[in-house]
Amino acid sequence: MTPLSPARKTLLRREMEALLGPDGVLSDPEELLVYESDGLTLFRALADFVVFPRSAEQVAALVKLAGREGIPFVARGAGTGLSGGCLPSEGGLVISLMRMNRVLEVDYDNQFAVVEPGLVNLHLTWAVGPRGFYYAPDPSSQQACTIGGNIANNSGGPHTLKYGVTTNHVLGLEVVLPDGELMWLGGKTRDTQGYDLVGLFVGSEGTFGIATKIVVRILRKPQAVKTVLAVFDQVDQASAAVSAIIARGLVPAAMEMIDQLTIEAVEDAFGCGYPRDAAAALLIELDGLAAGMEAQAERVVAACRDCGARDVRAARDEAERQLLWKGRKSAFGAYGRISPAYMVMDGVIPRTKLPYVLGRVNAIVAAHGLRVGNVFHAGDGNLHPNILYDPRRPGEEARVVAAGAEILKVCAEVGGSISGEHGIGLEKADYMPFIFSEADLACMRRVKEAFNPTGLCNPGKIFPSNKACVEVGPAYRPHPIEEKGLAQRF
Amino acid sequence: MPSALPDKLRTLVGASHVLTGVDCSPFVVEGRAPEAVVFPGTKEEIAAVLRAAGEAGLPVTPWGAGTKMAIGSPPNRLGLVLGLKRLDRILEHEPGDLTVTVEAGLPFETLQAELGKRGQWLSLDAGATERATVGGMLASDASGPRRHLYGTARDLVIGLTVVMADGSLVRGGGKVVKNVAGYDLPKLYVGSFGTLGVLAEATLKLRPRADVDRVVVARFDRLKAAGAAARAVLGSDLLPSALELADAEALRRLGLGGGAALLVGLDGIAPQVDWQVAELQRLLGPLGLGETSVLDGGARDDAWRALAGLGRPGHDRVAAVMKWAVLPAQIAELMEAGAAAARRNGLVGAFTAHAGVGIVTAVLAGGTNPNAVVSALTEWRALANRVGGHAMIESAPLAVKERVAVWDTAGPTLRLMKGIKERLDPHGILNPGRFVGGI
Repeated sequence: MTPLSPARKTLLRREMEALLGPDGVLSDPEELLVYESDGLTLFRALADFVVFPRSAEQVAALVKLAGREGIPFVARGAGTGLSGGCLPSEGGLVISLMRMNRVLEVDYDNQFAVVEPGLVNLHLTWAVGPRGFYYAPDPSSQQACTIGGNIANNSGGPHTLKYGVTTNHVLGLEVVLPDGELMWLGGKTRDTQGYDLVGLFVGSEGTFGIATKIVVRILRKPQAVKTVLAVFDQVDQASAAVSAIIARGLVPAAMEMIDQLTIEAVEDAFGCGYPRDAAAALLIELDGLAAGMEAQAERVVAACRDCGARDVRAARDEAERQLLWKGRKSAFGAYGRISPAYMVMDGVIPRTKLPYVLGRVNAIVAAHGLRVGNVFHAGDGNLHPNILYDPRRPGEEARVVAAGAEILKVCAEVGGSISGEHGIGLEKADYMPFIFSEADLACMRRVKEAFNPTGLCNPGKIFPSNKACVEVGPAYRPHPIEEKGLAQRF
Repeated sequence: MPSALPDKLRTLVGASHVLTGVDCSPFVVEGRAPEAVVFPGTKEEIAAVLRAAGEAGLPVTPWGAGTKMAIGSPPNRLGLVLGLKRLDRILEHEPGDLTVTVEAGLPFETLQAELGKRGQWLSLDAGATERATVGGMLASDASGPRRHLYGTARDLVIGLTVVMADGSLVRGGGKVVKNVAGYDLPKLYVGSFGTLGVLAEATLKLRPRADVDRVVVARFDRLKAAGAAARAVLGSDLLPSALELADAEALRRLGLGGGAALLVGLDGIAPQVDWQVAELQRLLGPLGLGETSVLDGGARDDAWRALAGLGRPGHDRVAAVMKWAVLPAQIAELMEAGAAAARRNGLVGAFTAHAGVGIVTAVLAGGTNPNAVVSALTEWRALANRVGGHAMIESAPLAVKERVAVWDTAGPTLRLMKGIKERLDPHGILNPGRFVGGI
């Protein structure tokens, strides 16, 4: 887009301030810097304005204003995304939903809640927890990420193996469409007539409009939880155990794998009780009825032992369970202590291909003279190779990007996907042809046009295109809560 | 139909796979016979047929086993019926991945039998017929009692191959259980009733079969008590796979007397099911629980099938079937109000519901007077709409459909739906006129 003249900017700023109040608009370059990237700091782009509406009507007014002026706009939650999806890649307007963070309604009889998009994921579980309920999708950034951002990315998390991802929990959305019209898609009841616009909107990475109210299912907390740690001397044994557990007719709530490099980093940083000399560990969580829980745990233990586990033990109490999960969830912060920077990949493969693909990942990274730590959702085949590097060394970052692309190509070759939960955003737009044909992409573009005919709503994302407007900057910088091991990115 | 078209179709798919004239009579929709029925053998042949139909300007109605063809507004014109029965293979089943890829014309029961040999299943309910195809079930978003725990087709489809109106092949989603690359096109196609493309292949998420699978039939004197029992189950630690409420007339039609019943599906390993059966009786005892039976094996399957078959056309003077989607806590009250509305019109209403998700099947019977049927259905729709729910006619005679809309009045979202339809099927050849808002 053509840059706005200073005079035009001043006029627009005044108009937006009249709408939102003087504390609702940022336009000083220094203030805007905070919003120049998301959790993937490889890409940066500066907006002209960041605005903070408090209501759906204000969002609609801002979107109409942007349309009138031909300014691109993008919604933003907590900025914890990992694909550059909420970057103002072509300048313009960032609409932050962080002041729309209320729980509007909870209906325990009918088991749903109506929330605003800026509500932090975990805060919903806090709100309904006292009545014995929770919100199931649990991205590892759930202490910071917002439900609106989860809608955009169709976020997953460790417990999606049994409970599904965000889209399986959303009943209805009030949205501001890219032309400023406010309407409901779906609602509080099921089986809305017509095309499944809710299903289409969830995961559309902010290119179909902005959700302003969200109806989500809330679930009753399970009666019992059992967490098992299985330790292996070979990665292949751990991979085989994942399939063996499934083959025994079990669907654990979560099944996470952590490799040796990661275990050592986690133990150095936090001392969570993982054995340092293990090649891999599996963290397996069962939940549900108390009746039969022991019998299920026995099946898990037997499956792990059959696959050569050196040690299998169940957490004895809630404290030990929390410690094991802390090891899993703080891996990112731990990498920060052993490497100046790292880049996380998000490929998905059929879980039976785990041994082969993990071997390929290690070989690819080694060929580029780099190191990789793996900590991931093994149960649903969602890999998170973390490539460690030092951005101060010339050329190293480019090698990381090249290795990342090769890894995603391998995922595609075995019938997998290039993103399981982080989204395509800017980062992987050029990799879409790894898994989609021209005809597939053309169909998606036509669907996008139905929602977003002018293309002003979050341009430059998902579809392969040039990235000339985006500065590819150096160096990952960890979020403060990651450094403390409180949350991580995947 | 242009006279050259049948010959062209015969060239495309082979002469024995094209029906014309009187042979088309099993494929009548709402009293209209198609001009030809064609059975392509591959997705490439589907594409060729669609291109030929597009050139001839002839509408195309995709057809699995035809078990859901009663759903939809009456078509203005029926052109080609595109039958998928020849695309009936399981393309890939990797038990360790809990996924299967199939062709759309595969009969659902065949798939379940094959999966069962490997200890797995696709967690959808077959419904009343044994003929339904996987593609047809996805296109019509068919679901049954076990959606309570396992969700509907939208939760199970992870990838689709669709033949578009212009003959291009488009894949959406993929073959892995977790995938956010690109738009979620499978969601768009599930429940689109053939209006956006012809489903050719689907990749589906599977589940391991439970060791034990039972249904507890809990009887109550009154519907109100059974409704309260359903709410108690929802508020408890129980994790039923199904929670079905049936009223007196539904039970009478099933040969089970009157009163009301709650059918609770319980599956899992033996200790889980045993504990739940006992807990259910403890929980419902104080709420007026009467006779209770626990069904397994064939008796269990028969119960689910009978329940699904309640509204089958021709079943004991069934005049129409309507589906309501409302909040779960409202259903017992709405079922009673619905029964009263039927009586006011000199008819009988029989009701069952997926009590945990708020889907009611309302069967109108006891007479065929179109005025009475139209009046009762209109009242039923108003009941559902008044509480913020929606109503859809699943089946009704043509004379009734001409006077009562099949679908609720489409709201503001219609422009989005039409926008999508126009972009994916610009000449409007795919099953035109039968869907929401005239799509």
